[in-house]
Amino acid sequence: MRMIRLAAAVGAALTLTLSAAACSSSKSSGPGGSAAGTPKHGGSVTVAWIDAEPNFIFPFAPATNTDGYNQNLTLPLWPALTYDGDGGQSIVNQKESLWSNLSFSNGNKTATMTLKPWKWSDGAPITSRDFTFVYNLLKTNYKNWNLYLPGTFPTDVQSVTATDEHTVVINLTAATSPDFFTEDVLNNVQLIPQHAWDKTSDSQAVGNYDQTPSGATAVYNYLQKAGSQISTFTTNPLWKVVAGPWKLNDFNSDGTLYGYVPNKNYSGPVKPYLSRWENQAFTTDSAMLDAMRAGRTVTVGSLPLNDANQLGALKAAGYSSVQLPIAGVTGITPNLYNAQDGTIFQQLYVRQAMEQLINRNQIVQKVYNGYADPGVGPVPVTAIPNMASPLEKSGGPYPYNPTAAINLLKQHGWNVVPNGVTTCQSAGSGPTQCGAGIKAGQRMEFQLLYPSGRTTTEEQEAAIQASEAQAGIKLDLKSEPFNTLIGTTGVCTASSHSQNCGWQLVDLGYTPYLPYPSDQGVFVTGGSSNFGGYSDPTEDRLINETETASSQQTFFQYEDYTARQLPMLFTPLRAGIVLYQSSLHGLSPLNPFSADNTEETWYFTK
Amino acid sequence: MSWYLVRRVGQAIVVVIGVMVLTFILIHMEPGSVARSILGIRATASRMAIFNATYGLNQPLYKQFIDYVNQVVHGNLGTSYYLQQPVSSLFAQRLPRDLFLLGTSTVLALLISIPMGIYQAVRRGGIGDNTLSAVTFTLYCMPAFWFAVMLVAVFAIQLHIFAPLAPTGTSLGSMLTQPRALVLPILTLTLIQVAGFSRYMRSSAIDTLAQDYLRVARAKGLPERLVLARHVLRNSLLPIVTIVGLSLPGLVTGAIVVEEVFNYQGMGLLFYSAATRHDFPILLGSTLIVGVATVVGNLAADIAYGILDPRVRYVSD
Repeated sequence: MRMIRLAAAVGAALTLTLSAAACSSSKSSGPGGSAAGTPKHGGSVTVAWIDAEPNFIFPFAPATNTDGYNQNLTLPLWPALTYDGDGGQSIVNQKESLWSNLSFSNGNKTATMTLKPWKWSDGAPITSRDFTFVYNLLKTNYKNWNLYLPGTFPTDVQSVTATDEHTVVINLTAATSPDFFTEDVLNNVQLIPQHAWDKTSDSQAVGNYDQTPSGATAVYNYLQKAGSQISTFTTNPLWKVVAGPWKLNDFNSDGTLYGYVPNKNYSGPVKPYLSRWENQAFTTDSAMLDAMRAGRTVTVGSLPLNDANQLGALKAAGYSSVQLPIAGVTGITPNLYNAQDGTIFQQLYVRQAMEQLINRNQIVQKVYNGYADPGVGPVPVTAIPNMASPLEKSGGPYPYNPTAAINLLKQHGWNVVPNGVTTCQSAGSGPTQCGAGIKAGQRMEFQLLYPSGRTTTEEQEAAIQASEAQAGIKLDLKSEPFNTLIGTTGVCTASSHSQNCGWQLVDLGYTPYLPYPSDQGVFVTGGSSNFGGYSDPTEDRLINETETASSQQTFFQYEDYTARQLPMLFTPLRAGIVLYQSSLHGLSPLNPFSADNTEETWYFTK
Repeated sequence: MSWYLVRRVGQAIVVVIGVMVLTFILIHMEPGSVARSILGIRATASRMAIFNATYGLNQPLYKQFIDYVNQVVHGNLGTSYYLQQPVSSLFAQRLPRDLFLLGTSTVLALLISIPMGIYQAVRRGGIGDNTLSAVTFTLYCMPAFWFAVMLVAVFAIQLHIFAPLAPTGTSLGSMLTQPRALVLPILTLTLIQVAGFSRYMRSSAIDTLAQDYLRVARAKGLPERLVLARHVLRNSLLPIVTIVGLSLPGLVTGAIVVEEVFNYQGMGLLFYSAATRHDFPILLGSTLIVGVATVVGNLAADIAYGILDPRVRYVSD
């Protein structure tokens, strides 16, 4: 089993809470955003974020550091090998990626990567030694890397060989899917300058310390310690050597405001137009909206979906908007091993009935004002359309159908009491009985937990509660702060029954995807996010195939099987609304993956 | 007086230690996994193990407490689980900002409400008193967030006179360079406090005005101006001193509503975020600071009482 790292996805996902993602389907309103007029050099942009306070500048943060905004801070300085997202499309951006060629051989067990002849900001060339530096550091210290997940880079690498100044050969321990490796693995590996960082103290000269395990640990520890010292983010010579289009210019002591200026030696194809851009953290959405409505201190921000009716006022204040779908999967997870009701959720027909009672289209329109993916399966059709199967695009296997849901329950021995509580009438494991382990008289009454603080989530759960009641499935809603919720929601399985498995249904929000949207440990047996304990050998096999072969058909098989088996009750996934001053161009169209890292393409016109 | 002070300081130390012990126990009784709560839904078992080992959460509770006390005694409040910064650094960034914001507004509120309360008491039942009473009652019953939002809507969004946000800098110096951005947050807190202080001051002054010693002072021919300044003001201040003393903890806990509305990174938001994230070091540090501020505030109020009212000094001596 291979588990996939989140890395950029987490960063992107966090950014998306404020800005969000889009894709080829992103729709823009207003004149700005897309290319228009003659670009002029200069100008300053302020990007607003909610509660975003990065605290670590070394690209490989410790295992205990969970601040996803650190990637927002570092990616403009040290780009990842693969640049995901190109304009409005959720695809690999080859012109912005650090490699010029990436080929696979030896049954997809060997990847050969040729780096572009780009340069660091101090004029030194970017070489294959920089990649071996990264590999050596992580190989020894992967346990203390916050983005490491078992079975992935670097532990699935047998050897790395630099065959010339710009070519590296990566031999893997097992075959990989080239798409997966290119889009999801290399997207998480940021290149760092060996010629400037390979040392163990400020005063030491740069050497090849990374080439021994003890040296690699010493270098890693030194860089991690330096990376945590906020007061030196802009003064430490280490962080002045960058490969990206920007250099960090200022960083206030609490991370709530930090700004970039162009890296004049940037080798990439798109040189920055702006003379400066900065990220400013806001405590709340409303504070950000007030700032936008009061004046022009915020250039780019976001609009909460429950404030969509303010679009008119914001447009009058000089802003345009663009929709940004989120790449991820979301739904309500049933606890298959809940002591009281797990046996009910283990019945596929129960999950089917519950899914058929969720009126997704209504939720998309009424709750999200149309700014949401319908959420009919594991892949969002609006954010990653190229990976969505025909079944998902056609509305999924279980469209809203209360009559069918009620009939399904009746056919399996339930006494359906619309707007009451349905009970098991015919206990047993026969085809017309409730199912193994379900007692006669057992009630379809469950508690649904969900994170508090978001109005649209409250409305969505209330809508689901009302529609499930049509078949007598009574949901008791309970919200808790997100961190409390995940702290008390145990991962429950048949073998290890956590002490926190009293929950029945939980909606934990969405799990972010990378461009190759294979399972993120949500559906695979033993996955770190497989809270409900779902385990199916066929599912595991199909997931494994998506990670070892690059066949769209293989991927669709996994996708459709998952959509049909319902390890979670799939629900709509909200999109974001990005607001930007109409005088700013080059921002849209957006894609879910590089939406927040394309400032070099932004410009004002003459 | 000195023995009285020693006794009060001793009591204060016992109270602070009690608060520290109680808070530590209560926080660690919270259900659920702290590591999972901090690391998120994708936390693996190995990462959670590293987290627990890093922060000593895999130790018995009594050992954790001993370690914590040892840290505090050495001036170390620990490291925030989420923000990954020393708690003392986080407090050092935010506390001066709150002290400035709340301190300034409290001083301004006192400067307004004390003369206002005396004026209302002297002109009790008159048009001025009734008008000001109506205004203060309106302010008193108005939720702070609503009042703040209204000020932003009118003065920032509609009239564009003041900035809708607090200053962006982290140092006091940089904040003072943006005076327009300070107006609305300070105004919000000042007016809300004026509403409370002035009612207490008015009530206290009315009581004082009815005292016999004022009649004596006037009979001696003391001008009304001096009667008010020397006798009414001083004696009417006693309840205000108590309220100001009790509000000292508020200076360090921050004003979460105002912080949210005006995008002001202060102690209130830090504490709130820590509470929702299970960030124990910040919660423990904040509670400790608030505990100290509470006993110091009470102590200061008692001392001020002694200064203002000689009877308190004589009794305690």
